[in-house]
Amino acid sequence: MSAVLETGTSKERGVSKRPLNPWKPAKQAKAPKPISRGIGSLNGKWGYLFIAPFFVMFLIFGLAPIVYSTYIAFFNWDPLNPGPQIFNGLDNFTNLLTDDRFWTALWNTLDIWAMSTFPQMAISIGLAAILRSKFLKGATFWRTILLIPNITSVIAIAIVFGQLFGRDYGMVNMVLGWFGIPHVDFIEGTTSSHIAIATMITWRWAGYNALIFLASMLAIPDELYESASLDGATGWQQFIYVTLPQLKNTITFVLIVGTIGGLQVFAEPLTLGGSMDGGSSRQFSTLTLFLYEQAFVNNKWGYAAAVGILITVIVLIVSLINFFITKKLAGEGSE
Amino acid sequence: MLRKSKLVSLALIAGVTSMGLGMVTPARAADPVTITIWTFGDVIEPALVKDYKALHPEVTLQIKKSDLDPLNGTNMVTACTAGNGPDIAAVEVSYSGYWRSYPRCFTDLRTIKNSDGKSAKDIAGDYLPWRWAQGVGYDDSVIGIPTDVGGLEVAYRTDLFKKAGLPTDRTKVSALWPTWDKFIATGKQYMKSVSAADKKSGVGFMDSAGTIYSAVLNQGTTKYYLNDGTDTGKLVYATNPQVKKAWDTTITALNAGIGTRISQFTADWNVGMTKGTFAAMLAPAWMMDYIKSQAPDTAGKWDIASMPGGGGNQGGTQLTIPASAKNKQAAWDFISWYLAPAQQLKVFKTYGLFPSTPSLYTDPALTGFSDPFFNNAPVGKIYSAGILKLKPIFEGKLNRAIDQAMGAGLGRVASKKQTAAQSWAQVLSDLKKVTG
Repeated sequence: MSAVLETGTSKERGVSKRPLNPWKPAKQAKAPKPISRGIGSLNGKWGYLFIAPFFVMFLIFGLAPIVYSTYIAFFNWDPLNPGPQIFNGLDNFTNLLTDDRFWTALWNTLDIWAMSTFPQMAISIGLAAILRSKFLKGATFWRTILLIPNITSVIAIAIVFGQLFGRDYGMVNMVLGWFGIPHVDFIEGTTSSHIAIATMITWRWAGYNALIFLASMLAIPDELYESASLDGATGWQQFIYVTLPQLKNTITFVLIVGTIGGLQVFAEPLTLGGSMDGGSSRQFSTLTLFLYEQAFVNNKWGYAAAVGILITVIVLIVSLINFFITKKLAGEGSE
Repeated sequence: MLRKSKLVSLALIAGVTSMGLGMVTPARAADPVTITIWTFGDVIEPALVKDYKALHPEVTLQIKKSDLDPLNGTNMVTACTAGNGPDIAAVEVSYSGYWRSYPRCFTDLRTIKNSDGKSAKDIAGDYLPWRWAQGVGYDDSVIGIPTDVGGLEVAYRTDLFKKAGLPTDRTKVSALWPTWDKFIATGKQYMKSVSAADKKSGVGFMDSAGTIYSAVLNQGTTKYYLNDGTDTGKLVYATNPQVKKAWDTTITALNAGIGTRISQFTADWNVGMTKGTFAAMLAPAWMMDYIKSQAPDTAGKWDIASMPGGGGNQGGTQLTIPASAKNKQAAWDFISWYLAPAQQLKVFKTYGLFPSTPSLYTDPALTGFSDPFFNNAPVGKIYSAGILKLKPIFEGKLNRAIDQAMGAGLGRVASKKQTAAQSWAQVLSDLKKVTG
């Protein structure tokens, strides 16, 4: 055992003056520059053409609505009014920042996001680890059924979960009753309604994310596990010191995508409560639900556009934070 | 080269043939037309669609059904803005106040004549005046024709009433509650007979006391807006005594504890209907079918009594032709046929939806209509009597938003988050943001 370690070159020993940190990948040699030949030679001329469809679609369905929304956010806008629209400057924005309904929605969104994202990560990675196990029979079958929640319609999910979380005859309350816990009115309470919505989101996305983690896990070289087990690492230790550090980039990716989705959660609170206001004291009104309510119930399109702009700004800020964290993590790996 | 010329000659032959055929067949009757319809729920009934196809084989009805009517409304806004909508769109009554301020989004049905030479002006007299008014724009243009009417009465469980020592005969039960106060008093009396254990498990006299609000509100002639001839109407929700009366009556009922805390159209509600968690509910005519399908085991245990305060309505739809419709003529032919008394009678017989054409209220099919599920109550007579008591009520532009705020306010009182006074104050401050 020790003989193996002794054979390392002096150069390698020089690098590992610091204790080995499994969270930081070892230095890798730079890949040789690809020779420009074959498909590669198309890069210059044709590359733009190949990526054009995305950018054309983005211009039409992404950028144009953003610009238009920004424009109408400065008006008292009514799309069905044939006459000129009323310009009201920054009123929509200043009103919004003092509107307690907006802050309630923001808080609800963040709370539901936190409640759904972190348990979901743990469940997804756990599921992926089970699916990776060499002892699992019928792996393809299990991997396939993980996607079923994701392809089920949100409306159907909401109906089923609405029944599970019913106050009087719901199954969740029935089980709680066995332990002498009085019935919880999930929809009326703030935290309890957030739990119900977060459960729906988690159920829907945990399997999908597990597959992403699984793909990433399968890319981890077996040698790492072999040498770890040679060093006497238990299965749990291998998971903590080999699997998790190798998943770092995937975790960041899933977190960013999940955050952007989480800030736009809409169908679950809409169908759970069945109304646009997100409950009698707006206890589960989210940002997008608030936007929808302003436009389609209250007929305040300019105000709704202002909400949309603020959601974009919030998503941008969160994405930037994520971006810098990713860059820092990646930067530690390379030069 | 050869291939190309062959194609050209084939096309020529095809063209000549079809021209020849066109000369033989009568041109108008064979013109195939596709009517696109945006609807929801059971507004367009399949049995009648079949009938229409038999009458007009050249017509294809392309029906797009939304599950959630709010989304149907969303599509309508987009359709009007983009000028690209269906030929027929169903508009739910709660949106009628909104659309009445935008008549330019619809075809004025007074200006279009069906194959019998009739426009909306000629058929207006066939419909209940208050129901017709829900499809009239602020500029008096007719934008929608009423489908069924959701007359509101009280459905009650005779077995549970008997257990509580209340009368079970429908005339005697109706006599218990000429007013809402008496109705609430009956509820209190019922609750006295309910055991403490049952009370704890959520048993109540009626399903949801919150439903009293819109029932009382619709018995008046003014809601949140006064008709002042403008496109939106004048806001009077804060001062209208009818609104306060509806609010106060509901608060009294909530505080009396006569309702379960179940919301309608939830899983708990469906279960409660079977389990006898509540003994009474305010039931629109279309609800009878719902009760039958959700609680088939309770057959014969239900009966229908009349509403406190006299009559009521819940729900209803108008069929409209958007301004951008491509087949207006075919659409109007269909609507004026589909909603004519004869067809409404068939819808009533087949699906139990109550007609909005009062000429049918003396038809033996209606007067003789009773249902063993509801203890053979003459539901046809009971419902038509209540419906005839209603008066036109003005629906303003943001009715739905105001209804939502009121409903949330009552919800906060029901769940004891706020006192009635606190909640009312919040309703008013919330509504300032909505209407301001």
